[in-house]
This record gives sequence, structure tokens and C-alpha cells, in this order.
Amino acid sequence: MNLKELFPRNQVIGFVFSLILTAAALTVYFLDLSFQAGMTVLLVTAFIQAAVQLVLFMHAGETEDKGAIYTNIYYGVIIALVTIFGTLLCMTWGYI
Amino acid sequence: MKIDHSLPLEYSTEENRLKILGFWIFLGAEIMLFATLFASYFVLADRTGSGPAGSEIFELTPVLIETILLLTSSFTIGLGIHAMRIGNKKAMMTFFAVTLLLGLAFLGFEIFEFFHYVHVGAGLQTSAFTAMLLTTLGTHGAHVTFGFFWGLAILLQVKKRGLTPETTNKSFIFSLYWHFLDVVWIFIFSFVYLKGMM
Amino acid sequence: MEFFERFAVPHPSPAIYASMVAIGLTVIAILAGLTYFKKWGYLWREWLTTVDHKRIGIMYLISALLMLFRGGADAIMMRAQLAVPENQLLDAQHYNEIFTTHGVVMIIFMAMPFIMGLMNFVVPLQIGARDVAFPRLNALSFWLFFMGAMLFNISFVVGGSPDAGWTSYFPLAGTEFSESVGSNYFMIAIQIAGLGTLMTGINFITTILKMRAPGMTLMKMPMFTWSALITNAIIVFAFPVLTVLLAMGTMDRLFATNFFTTDNGGMDMLWANLFWVWGHPEVYILVLPAFGVYSEVISTFARRNLYGYKSMVASMVIISLLSFLVWAHHFFTMGQGALANSIFSITTMAIAVPTGVKIFNWLLTLWKGKIVITTPMLYSILFIPLFTIGGVTGVMLGMSAADYQYHNTMFLVAHFHMVIIPGVVFAMLAGLTYWWPKMFGFMLNEKIGKSAAWTIAISTLVAFMPMFFSGLDGQARRMYTYSESTGFGIWNMISFIGAAGLAIGFALIVYNVYYSVRYSPRNISADPWDARTLEWATHSPVPEYNFANVPQIDSIETFWDSKKKGHIMFKGDYEKIHMPNNSGMPFIMSCIFFAWGFSFVFAMWIPLIITTIGILVCMALRSFEKDHGHYISVEEIEETETKLRGAK
Repeated sequence: MNLKELFPRNQVIGFVFSLILTAAALTVYFLDLSFQAGMTVLLVTAFIQAAVQLVLFMHAGETEDKGAIYTNIYYGVIIALVTIFGTLLCMTWGYI
Repeated sequence: MKIDHSLPLEYSTEENRLKILGFWIFLGAEIMLFATLFASYFVLADRTGSGPAGSEIFELTPVLIETILLLTSSFTIGLGIHAMRIGNKKAMMTFFAVTLLLGLAFLGFEIFEFFHYVHVGAGLQTSAFTAMLLTTLGTHGAHVTFGFFWGLAILLQVKKRGLTPETTNKSFIFSLYWHFLDVVWIFIFSFVYLKGMM
Repeated sequence: MEFFERFAVPHPSPAIYASMVAIGLTVIAILAGLTYFKKWGYLWREWLTTVDHKRIGIMYLISALLMLFRGGADAIMMRAQLAVPENQLLDAQHYNEIFTTHGVVMIIFMAMPFIMGLMNFVVPLQIGARDVAFPRLNALSFWLFFMGAMLFNISFVVGGSPDAGWTSYFPLAGTEFSESVGSNYFMIAIQIAGLGTLMTGINFITTILKMRAPGMTLMKMPMFTWSALITNAIIVFAFPVLTVLLAMGTMDRLFATNFFTTDNGGMDMLWANLFWVWGHPEVYILVLPAFGVYSEVISTFARRNLYGYKSMVASMVIISLLSFLVWAHHFFTMGQGALANSIFSITTMAIAVPTGVKIFNWLLTLWKGKIVITTPMLYSILFIPLFTIGGVTGVMLGMSAADYQYHNTMFLVAHFHMVIIPGVVFAMLAGLTYWWPKMFGFMLNEKIGKSAAWTIAISTLVAFMPMFFSGLDGQARRMYTYSESTGFGIWNMISFIGAAGLAIGFALIVYNVYYSVRYSPRNISADPWDARTLEWATHSPVPEYNFANVPQIDSIETFWDSKKKGHIMFKGDYEKIHMPNNSGMPFIMSCIFFAWGFSFVFAMWIPLIITTIGILVCMALRSFEKDHGHYISVEEIEETETKLRGAK
């Protein structure tokens, strides 16, 4: 048993990548960004981070059920975004 | 029970394949569960009443430590599943144990964080914002706590029964759960803490 | 004594004391009967511990019928109270409790289990599976639903019923305005039942995606199975919202948080918002399986294949997405601006399109069909015009500007009853009649069935059409009485007559069951309707393993082809069949859940902690358990098959 066998390359890369993304997200704290720019950075880093977990760590695409799994996740994410933004529209932004 | 030896053990029976797909669908439901919490959080984030706002109570250091702990635990459980697939029971159990310890450390910091909030006057009953903050964090924390005991039960079974179709299946499903909690934490880290401190 | 005072009903009346006595006597009678006839073992072995999807389906149906009569009794009391102006039959508090429980019982404890029951019984048979993907989880789903329903139903004799409407809007449902434990029951009983529903959703999606007979591609699935798949997808993504919402409501009521209060930043309208984020998809959860039933029934009795299969599927997929995009039309008048209202108004109009596609597909299936009017078909044909009334008034309500006029009036009440009764109740009665011979091996009497269908359809019109008019005249919903000068009296009297007619219709259905149990012939074939889908290819009643051989599918209507074109569905010799073991765990765990819920309702923390530990222990035991199921041997299959074939 050598270490190479226990630490597969793409998982190590995934881990390093997620640390880099975390550091990138931290820029919104240390730099003085506008709200829009900060939110853009956060959205981009968070969703890439989620994708890294999903594909590299969770093996979402490794079986014949790939289609069902991805449909399920995409559907969930779409409905989640609709719920979040729709709620904000009704509860916060809609009162202007 | 028909066992298909061309597949990894966790996929080797029909029952196992059903369970893995079923768990993915459950994770779809979990996405909506946390989405609802986030939707409520965003609506209530500025409704602080007479209590403190997020920027007044959040502290970067403990949050960053929690993030690193959880990210690392997500990495180690991935390694655990890899070790399981190459049939290395000892390495797999080590990685699982490390994962659970990291989870426990995360929980320790989170409990410390909660004490801090209550101490600075941001309790459950203070305002809509604090209630929502503690509920969102608490739901994630409760998932991690549940995961800790679940993982422990699986670790015991692997130790006792070895790498069988059942135990590998449970371990794989547990790893999905644990990765998912990490994904949720990334969103909490970004859109609760960093957005609040921005 | 102080301890027991919390269980007293805060607002008692002779009717409630009478119910207490009646409930007590019924429970004693059931217990005594089980003991006298020595049926405890049978009940435990065959029903309480079963994981068979067919038996679970039947238990769901029985629960649904029981709850139909509970909710129906509420409805009759409401209509009786409103029948004449300034009536004193009920006081305001009781009226509030009754309309609240009527709504909750009918939606969550009647319509949902009815759908779950039919899905449980039919879907595995239609796809040629031996059981659902997770049989034990399925049993847990049922028992959680059942315990949730029971917890909700004891509220009116222990501690008081919820009285803030089935939508339970805050701040009315908060502790300030609802002091009794009633709203706690609402939060916790529905939570428990909802957990069961969520599990069913996961279970059925997995079943339908992974357990279809060889050759049955997704586009060769029967329409009812398609509707079940889409419905369960909506369940999986809608019910977590309810879980969170009810948890937040519980915290507001029991832990004094400020989510929905009017102080400390709380936002009462967030409740309404999240309630309908779940609530509108819930409407489609109810109506899509109903559409699935109509598709099966209409195709069978028009003696044609279903017109526009692909467009039917597409319209359901579109509905499943759109159903999550329209929720704000339930509170157009809440104060959000024109932009938000316009967006939700447009999505609301849009959802009428796929629904319209389905209606036209049914009409075109009937077109040039050789229509046979049986009871299920009669319900389906009566459904189309009645549902259209409900649908068109829905489009009226969907226009946000006009909605300011209709909002919170009886017009709305008339609308959703005209949608749900023809859309869901007719379908469930049609489905029950249609699949009855498959469940029990004899048919319901057609003559009584048809007279019940006509009585129910006409009474629905009589009961709900007047509400459109009184609503437009300004009669608000949920008012327990009105003065004579309003002129609402005549409309409400007509409504009451209609409600009485509905009661007669449902009584006819009960009589039909009784009559058919006694007199209906038992020597029917396995396919008495000359139907087209797979469930009719096995024996009636269905053996434990469903199909002795797994059917081979090569078209949308393989069973029909096997009857008409000599296609051979069942090939090869019998092989031993793997089946799941029964388990008492789901029932026991759900009983603990009941105790957990009851402790939570009354804020009894020590029992709550103990029961929580009990639930976790059940889960741990399950994790460590080794259960590989059992096999049915070839000899046993041969014996069963010979016996069932001989019975025909």
C-alpha cells in the first residue's frame, strides 16, 4: 500500500481546488467590493464549489442512473432558486 | 440475493442500487429544505428588531475554522470511499474515523459559536433575524450531529462484518450525505456569514 | 389534578361531550370485538406488520374513507349553521374549529391517503413489479400518516381543535390570538403525516424509475403510473417546505421565537408565502393522480388507446414545473406591488394551457370511441363539465386586479370546491370502483354506483353554484352567521340542500359496499372491465408476489395486445421469488411518534425527550438489523397459481 493508491489524484486536486475557492470567496471580506460585485463572487465560488463536490467527490455521474440523478439535482436547484427569488420578490422587493 | 461482481460492492445488488438512487432523491428533498431556510433567512436577515445585526455578531476566525474542518472532512470521507473500493478496510476505517472526528470538532466550534451569540444578546427569542440565523445553523448542525452517530454505527458494522454489499452500500450512502452537508455549509459560509460581514 | 387540566377542552359543548362518549364506546367495542373473535394475532400478522403494497394501499383507502366521513360531518354542520340567517346552531368558536378541521381533514387526511392508497395498490402492478422499492419504508409512511391523522382527530376531545383556518395564518395562529393547544395540533400532526408523505415520494420515484418490467421504457408506462411519477416528484420538492414552515410555526408557538409575530422584526406574511409555496404544488399533487385515473378509465371504456400520449406526458411535466411558479396568486391582496402580482398572474394563466391540453386529449379519446357507460366512466364524463366550471372561475381569480373583488369571498370557496370535488373526489371514487374487483375479487353494484354518481354530481352543483352568487354579492368566507338583510339566506339554503344531497350520495356508496359484499357474484374473471393495462393480467385478488413470471413488455398496451393479437407476455418457467419480510418496527415506531407528537402538543418536555430517544433507538436497531427477506419456492407458486386459476 503506498500513499499514491490511497490519495487518488483527482480527489486531491478537488480538495486543493475547494480550498482555493474558499480563499477566493474570502476576498469579499478583505477587499472593499460593491454589493453586486461581492454577491457575484460569492455566487460563482459557491456554485463551482458545489459542482466540485458533486462530480469529484459524490460520483454523481458514475452509473446508469446518471440521468435520473442529474435531473433530480437540476430540478431541485431550479425549484430552490425559484422559491428563494420568488419569496424575495413577494416579501421584500415587491413593496416598492 | 443476486450479486453482480462486475460492479463495486456498494452497487452489486439490485437492492443496493435502489437505495443509492433513493438517497439521491432524498438529497433533492434536502435541497428544498435548505432552500426554504435560505429563503426565510434572506427575507428576515435585515429584520433585527431591537437585537443585533449580523455584521455586529459574526466573527471570521471560528467560521473559517469550521469551514476548513468540514471541507477537510469531506475530503477524507471521499478518500475513505476510495479505500473501500480498493478493498482496504483498515485505511477506509481510518479515514471514516478521521472524518467523524473532524465532524465532532466542527460541532464543538459551532456550539462555542452559539454560546457566543447568546452571550452577546443574540438568542433564539431576540429577533426574527437571530431566530432564523440560529434555526438555519441549527438545522445544519443537527444534520451533522445525526451524521456523526450514523457514521459511528456504520463504522461499527464495518468493523464487525467487514466489507460486505450491505456495509459498503451504507458507507457509500453515508458519504453522499456527508458531502451534501459540506455543500450546504459552503452556501451558509458564503450567503450567511460572508454576505453578512461584507 | 392540575396536570390533567391541560387536556380539558377549552370550549366544550354537549356535542363534544357526546363525541367523547361515542369515541370511548367505539374504542371499547373494537377492542372487545378483536378479543372476542380472537383477531389480535390476525390483525398483527396480516395488517399491522405488513409491508405488502397492496395491503398498505387498502389501509390507506380505509383511512381515507373514514376521514371523508369525519370531514363530511364537519361540512354538514357548517352548511346547517349557515342555512338560515342568524342561526344559533353553532357559536363562532365552534364554527371556526369546524371549518379549520374540515379543510385539514379533507386535504391532508382524506384526499392525500386516497391518492396514496390507489398509487400503492396500482403502480407496482402496472409496472410489473413485486413490490415498491423500499417496502418497509412504505409501511412506515402509512403508519406515520395514520398516526398524524389520529393525533389531529383527537384534538377536538383533548385540549381543543385548531381554529385558525386550514391555512393557519399568523398572527392569528400565534399564541397571542390562539391560546389553546389547537394550533399546536395543527403544526405537529401535519408534520408527522408530512414526513410519511415525503418518504412515499422518494419510494415511488425510485420504484417507477428502477423497477419496471423488462421492455417497459418510460414512454411505454401506463398514464396513471406517469401521473404517479410526476406527483411524487412534486411531493419530494414541495413537502420539505412544509416541514420547515411547520417547524418554524411550532417554534413561534412553543419557544416564543419571532418568525411570524408582529414584534422584533417578525413577518407574519412570510407564513402565508411559505404556506403557499408548499400549498400550490399540493393542489397538483392532488389533481395529477386524479387525471391519471381519468386517463385509464376513459381509455378503457372508450375502448380506444389514449389520444395524445406524448402530449399528456409533456403537459404533466410542464405542470410539475409551473406548479412551483404560481403560489403568490393565493395572496394577491397582501400588498406586494403590481410587478409581483403581474408575474404570478401570468404564470397562473399559463398553467391553464397544459391542463386544457389534457381535457382536449380526453375529449378526443372519447371521439369515435365505443363508449361504455360504467360507474367509473360516468364519474369521468361528469367530471369534464363540472371541472371546467371550477377551472374557468380559477382563471377569473387568477387575474390579480379582479381578484381584489373575489378575494376571501364565497366565490373562492365555490371555485376550489368545484375544482377539488370533480377533479379529485370523483376521480378517487371512479378509481375505487374501477380497481375494486382487483382488490377484493368482486365488483361493486353498477346500478347503485351510478345512482350515487348522479346524486353526487347534481348535489355538487346544487351545493356550490349558489356560493358563486353569494360570493359576488359579498358574502365573506369563514363568517359564522349573517343578517337577514344581506339576502344571502336563499343561496345558503340551496347550498345546504346540496350538502344534504352529497351526504345521501356518500351514504349510497356505503350501502353499495354493504350490498356488494353480500350479493355481488364472486366468479368474475381477472379482467372484468376488458381493460388495457398490466394490473389486469394477474389474478384477482392479487397473489402476494403479484406476477408469477415477470411480464415482457413491448408496447404501451402490452396486455391489450396479448388479448387481441396473441402477444405472449409471460415466458419461461417459474423461478423462486424473493420477497421482503414483514416487520412490526414501522408500526411501533409510528406509535412512538404519536406519543412524541402528543407530548410536543402539550409541551411536556420529559416525555418528549424520552420518545425522541425511542425514535432514534428504533432507527439504530434498524441499522444493525440483518434482514435479507425470504424466498417463495417454485412449488408454493405453482400451488397458488393452480388455486387462483381454478377459482376463476
